[in-house]
Amino acid sequence: MDFISNQEIQNKEMLKVIGVSDVQELFVDIPEILKLKKPSIDDGMSEYEGIRLMQSLAKKNSYSEFDNYLGAGAYEHHVPAIISSICSKAEFLTAYTPYQPEASQGMLQIIFEFQSAICALTGMDVSNASLYDGASGCAEALLMSLRINKDRNKVLIADNLHPNYKAVIEQYLCNHKTKIEWIPSLADGSLDINKIEELADDQTAALLVQYPNFFGGIDDILPLNQKLKSLSVLTIVSANPMVYGLYKNADELQADIAVGDCQPFGLSLQFGGPYVGYIACKQELLRQLPGRIVGETVDTNGKRGFVLTLQAREQHIRREKATSSICTNQALAALATLIGIVWYGKNGVREIALTNYKRASYLKTNLNKIPGIKSVSQQHFFNEFVVKFDCPIEKVLKIFRENNIEPGLYLKPYFPASNQHLLVAVTETKSLSDLNRYLAIAKGLI
Amino acid sequence: MSKTIFEKSEKGQHAYSLPKNDEEFKMFLPDDRFIRKTDISLPEISEINLTRHFNEMAKRNMGIDNTFYPLGSCTMKFNPRVNELVASFDGFTKCHPLAPAQSVQGNLEIIHELICLLSEITGFCAGTLLPNAGAQGEFVGIRMIAEYHKKLSHFEKTEIIIPDNAHGTNPATAKMAGYSIVSVRTNELGDIDLDHLKSLVSEKTAGLMLTNPNTLGLFSKVILEISKIIHSHGGLLYYDGANLNAILKFVSIESMGFDVMHINLHKTFSTPHGGGGPGSGPVLCNDKLKSFLPVPRVIMKDGKYTLINDDKDSIGKIASFHGNFGIYLRAYLYIKLHGHYGLYRIAEQAVLNANYLKKRISNLFTIPFPQHCMHEFVVQADNYLDKGIRALDIAKRLLDYGVHAPTVYFPLIIKECLLIEPTESESKVTLDQFVEALENIVQEIKENPEIVRNAPHTKPVTRLDETLAAKNPVLHA
Repeated sequence: MDFISNQEIQNKEMLKVIGVSDVQELFVDIPEILKLKKPSIDDGMSEYEGIRLMQSLAKKNSYSEFDNYLGAGAYEHHVPAIISSICSKAEFLTAYTPYQPEASQGMLQIIFEFQSAICALTGMDVSNASLYDGASGCAEALLMSLRINKDRNKVLIADNLHPNYKAVIEQYLCNHKTKIEWIPSLADGSLDINKIEELADDQTAALLVQYPNFFGGIDDILPLNQKLKSLSVLTIVSANPMVYGLYKNADELQADIAVGDCQPFGLSLQFGGPYVGYIACKQELLRQLPGRIVGETVDTNGKRGFVLTLQAREQHIRREKATSSICTNQALAALATLIGIVWYGKNGVREIALTNYKRASYLKTNLNKIPGIKSVSQQHFFNEFVVKFDCPIEKVLKIFRENNIEPGLYLKPYFPASNQHLLVAVTETKSLSDLNRYLAIAKGLI
Repeated sequence: MSKTIFEKSEKGQHAYSLPKNDEEFKMFLPDDRFIRKTDISLPEISEINLTRHFNEMAKRNMGIDNTFYPLGSCTMKFNPRVNELVASFDGFTKCHPLAPAQSVQGNLEIIHELICLLSEITGFCAGTLLPNAGAQGEFVGIRMIAEYHKKLSHFEKTEIIIPDNAHGTNPATAKMAGYSIVSVRTNELGDIDLDHLKSLVSEKTAGLMLTNPNTLGLFSKVILEISKIIHSHGGLLYYDGANLNAILKFVSIESMGFDVMHINLHKTFSTPHGGGGPGSGPVLCNDKLKSFLPVPRVIMKDGKYTLINDDKDSIGKIASFHGNFGIYLRAYLYIKLHGHYGLYRIAEQAVLNANYLKKRISNLFTIPFPQHCMHEFVVQADNYLDKGIRALDIAKRLLDYGVHAPTVYFPLIIKECLLIEPTESESKVTLDQFVEALENIVQEIKENPEIVRNAPHTKPVTRLDETLAAKNPVLHA
């Protein structure tokens, strides 16, 4: 099948107007030698057949039946029903970048509200319209800091950052003459704060840390950020924005740039995307912010309206002098997370964060009571923690999986020394009986 | 005036619900030392008011489902709803990106198969779906070219050649990948100026980025010469797939001499533009470059799909996880529904619709390139400048006629440019109505230019002060 309106009868009339007898004549500029043979048979499918095909593929994903305790940058949360009903509206789903502001006030205002919601959570002064994902967000923040501290050639990055984020950062920075120094972690996964003080100097453009770190622990970065101010080192915090509902926000941590992935608010896991990166910063850094930004203005009658603004930073105007090459971003996913954030609202963002903390604490505390299972860190945490099993990990995974539970992320492929360790995430989707079932299976293992 | 959601806040109201905390959970309280002390300035709003707010926003926006949307270079074709339906299946939405491979065989099969389909369509032998949009696809492709030259110790290759009519993402991306940009001119026929190209190419040339058909909607007759010139200097050819819709199943990209390309799934393969994303920018390449593709990669081994996370020549990672997977589902189904035959019909009809529209409006504007166009074309709205009417004014007046405006002032090399792309989706009557709207506007310019100069008159706002927005940035509520 196809979705083409015009058929033979209209095409004939159109060809006549153009003044050619055959549509092939329109392709005359293509050298004959390059032309492919026209497919002779209709090998398409009907809509019904297409649905059947996709159902059969979806069925091959046994994971959707699993009780999921994987986190590590992608978290299973309830997605409020209102989100799909709004995001599937034709006016949002099938619109493009608001290049014609008078006809796109809805999307422009939504982006403005998304920017506002990100500022409210992070405490930063300004935000952009979105970036691709959390990983490229970190890379863009570092590039931004290198444009601001342009005479410096070194960045410090916490080694307890998400391993995939680290790899993407290396991708984006590999053509810069910038040295990346990785700040090691201590045995419990926490950041070696003393090491940062040792490494930071007047050549350091920025420090990037993750909050909570990859292992779920909250590093005490406030005193550090304060110290780095005196060296004019820009501090970047990469965070799950949900954490700011409960814990100190980027501004209270005295960070200059806040980045992360908004997925926890309103986007299903969907095998890793679409998610949506955010980047927000202090007012004085605004001119180096990458990507689209929406601002408020007035129309010729003095009425408030919204436009894409500060476009002199962007690729369609500045070409190779732009702050980034990003054009299409994640607008619809940003709308989903905006709805998610305001659905929780002023009080709800704290409540959901607290609910996550309490449930994760229950599992962590009770796992610790089982001889042979130990949580690795005493650090304060949010909804994710590392546990070590004193028995073969293959057996742990096998038994949990036989019970349709994925008990956590096995860390060895990322950190070879963590060969008996699982990173376990618990959100509001886990009930007391779910958690007790996990504990019962864990008890049976040892 | 429309209030922001922040201005609609009413104290104490809320929309959310959460599972209650059982007794067993109550004792757990976070350490006060880490607790947020500052107010969270988010709105307090009930679900009905939330719903009405976003419905009000929808009324102030327009999409393809509402109206003709001939935005050039964006391929605003119909977005079938069946794609949305299948992307919402639990079997897809509930999969964690780090789930063990054996439990997500369906997802891995889709990734593997979609790469195969896209390779077949473009003539390449390998690819990746990971880039989150076209610009990131360009970045991946150029990074692969860079690693290729590095491996062969071509350290002198520091330049990428890009036509003056290219999308801004091309030079911006090549720059991000560490290259200097050399701009090649377009000649009076709308094709690459070969003499200029010859004068620019040297041992420093790492590659050339090209959109073909280009942003003027014209297929380069000299593409094979271009490819020869670049390759003979050891450079590689990058194909910007923004305009792939025009030549689907008509031409193999590989046979034109390109080494690597990206596709915009949100253009050619109908995944919704979503008001500015999420897109998806798969990269396809030939044998020369395939070892440099990013990771993770999906391979088929002993009847099972598995993931490869490391490969010595790979440029490494580009996305947090597997890219915009939800978008792949839509594109995959779209291709399966069409089959090869349907894809061919897309290109054929897109080109026919564009030529018809071009012919119909050629008496209204200056036509800088009179030859047949491919899927889109440019017109120059410079014949009404004496009445004080510019391309922008015509675009704004079109909004009053209930259609979206074409792309304006791009490509930058065409004065008072309107770039028009009707796509294969649209019916003749829709195209005729668009022509009629333009004819009316031209009549208005002659009789009452004020009405055009001050358009739009029927939208929620009149023209907005962009200078004020930039001079005094108000960026949040």
